[in-house]
Amino acid sequence: MTWLFEPGWWANGTVRTALVVGGIVAVTSAVVGIFTVMRGQSFAGHALTDVATAGGAGAFLAGVGPLLGFVGGGVLGAGAMDAIGVQRVKGRDIATGVVLGAAMGLAALFLFLSARTSSATGATQLVLFGSIFTVSPSTLPEVSWLSGAVLVTMALVARPLLLSSLSVELAAARGIRLRAVGLIFMVALAVAVGMSAIVIGAILSTALLIGPPASALRVARRVGSAVALAAGLGVLATWVGVLLAYDSYYWSASHRSLPVSFFVVVVIVAEYALASVLRRRTRRVPTAVVEPEGWT
Amino acid sequence: MAVVAVGLSGCNSGTTGAAGVIQAVGAENQYANVVAQIGGRYVHVTAIMSNPSVDPHTFEVSTSVAQAVSQARLVVQNGLGYDQFMTQLESASPSSSRRVIDVQHLLGLSDTTANPHLWYKPSTMPTVAAAVERDLATMEPSHASYFAGRLASFRSSLAPETAAIHAFRARFAGRVVATTEPVADYLLSALGLVDATPWRFQADVMNGIDPSPEDVATLQTMISDHHVAALCYNAQVTSSVTQAVRSQAQTSHVPIVAVYETMPEPGYNYQSWMIAEIRALTRALSEHVSTTVLR
Repeated sequence: MTWLFEPGWWANGTVRTALVVGGIVAVTSAVVGIFTVMRGQSFAGHALTDVATAGGAGAFLAGVGPLLGFVGGGVLGAGAMDAIGVQRVKGRDIATGVVLGAAMGLAALFLFLSARTSSATGATQLVLFGSIFTVSPSTLPEVSWLSGAVLVTMALVARPLLLSSLSVELAAARGIRLRAVGLIFMVALAVAVGMSAIVIGAILSTALLIGPPASALRVARRVGSAVALAAGLGVLATWVGVLLAYDSYYWSASHRSLPVSFFVVVVIVAEYALASVLRRRTRRVPTAVVEPEGWT
Repeated sequence: MAVVAVGLSGCNSGTTGAAGVIQAVGAENQYANVVAQIGGRYVHVTAIMSNPSVDPHTFEVSTSVAQAVSQARLVVQNGLGYDQFMTQLESASPSSSRRVIDVQHLLGLSDTTANPHLWYKPSTMPTVAAAVERDLATMEPSHASYFAGRLASFRSSLAPETAAIHAFRARFAGRVVATTEPVADYLLSALGLVDATPWRFQADVMNGIDPSPEDVATLQTMISDHHVAALCYNAQVTSSVTQAVRSQAQTSHVPIVAVYETMPEPGYNYQSWMIAEIRALTRALSEHVSTTVLR
């Protein structure tokens, strides 16, 4: 196994932190991501990554931890999108697009200002594409708390969320408060996106949010198994990504290693391709539970 | 905003634009300082980068900087991509009367030179000063003897630095140190010190990308095993990785020496800055005392 696990892998503290934090984040992203895909809110999820970008850049400028910025920015963005009408299907893309543009403008401003006023280096890389190997072990409690909160919230709203995803009319008839459920989900989504931003960067966090759930939904027959499979695929992608980035140090004589984010995304895409092949093989009849209306 | 143009001591402030006063720009304040020392009362110098809490590698240009460059008749810049924006600003406002001293080209260095922090090389500033004197004398031939006199006193003022380097070498040559960035590496090698830090680590920090976990572990082990006698910490280019290395040095009782991209102000000129760095290294190696801020 030494060809796979290069020297120092098991003893390296940086790697251990990356694996633990990355694993927790991947599970959280996958659970939230299943509902994001089923509700057709991938674009809203992507917009939240852009808001998280602005938050992360702002945190860099203010000198506070990036996690706080990513999550805080995302939650504020979720509130803004709710306020200007992301719930209405008709105006959804427009509201999302406006928030997205504004957020990226703010991110540009914050990165500019932090380059001009701070000695901190690598802000752009860290905010946009992630720096899991620079995550401090002291971040672990925060990540665990946030992840726990998101998972508990998702467990509580899973049923009304599923129902409203499948049929708005039916959910309303059952007395589900659609807007409240939608807003709670958006906040959970924002926190999940902010957390995955510290692993693979704000811009790429969509990949971790959408990729494993999309693959899982291609092959799973029930929501429960889709959630479990997505979590497994997400963790696998993150861990293999970290491993390959670590190993890449030994691939060239110059020891120029490659970034984790790249490898995570490569694995996610490979998983999706594999899931698509499996789906075609099985020629499975889509069940209504897994595929809501409008989702193909 | 901290990075607006700053007039330097030694320049003739208050008579900006007056007849016979040459407007000059130093991209980094250490070059501006040397220009001021040569130009004296006939030159007004503006330094673009002088904030010790800003990473010059990621510096962003403002309009006031563009204006200073467009009005300057003499510009001194480092080159090697360190202050790439200067070249862009100069081509944005072409002027036949402006002279540009690019230190990289002045020293005949190729674009592939890995370490751009040329001012830490003891032989750099005498060459720069001579080039400045030459250009100023061409611009204002009537003051040529004044500039020549100031160049001569600049040269003789370097004697204490040269002596300090010789004394340091005699005592500490061959000792091993670590760095977080290649900023002072030219000075370290002039002092006979060995920088054991993996070059990749230094270059990655300098270029704003994440060093590999392997290189971080190598550096951390060097410090915890006391393989290095001191850590040269670039206080101007920091990240969570360099801060972790710094706290590793603190817990391992390895003395830390602050090094800078630009000249700490106020209170220093180029010569006294270099002597202060050599003194801080001496204290680190002989008394195990850290110098976390040059004041």
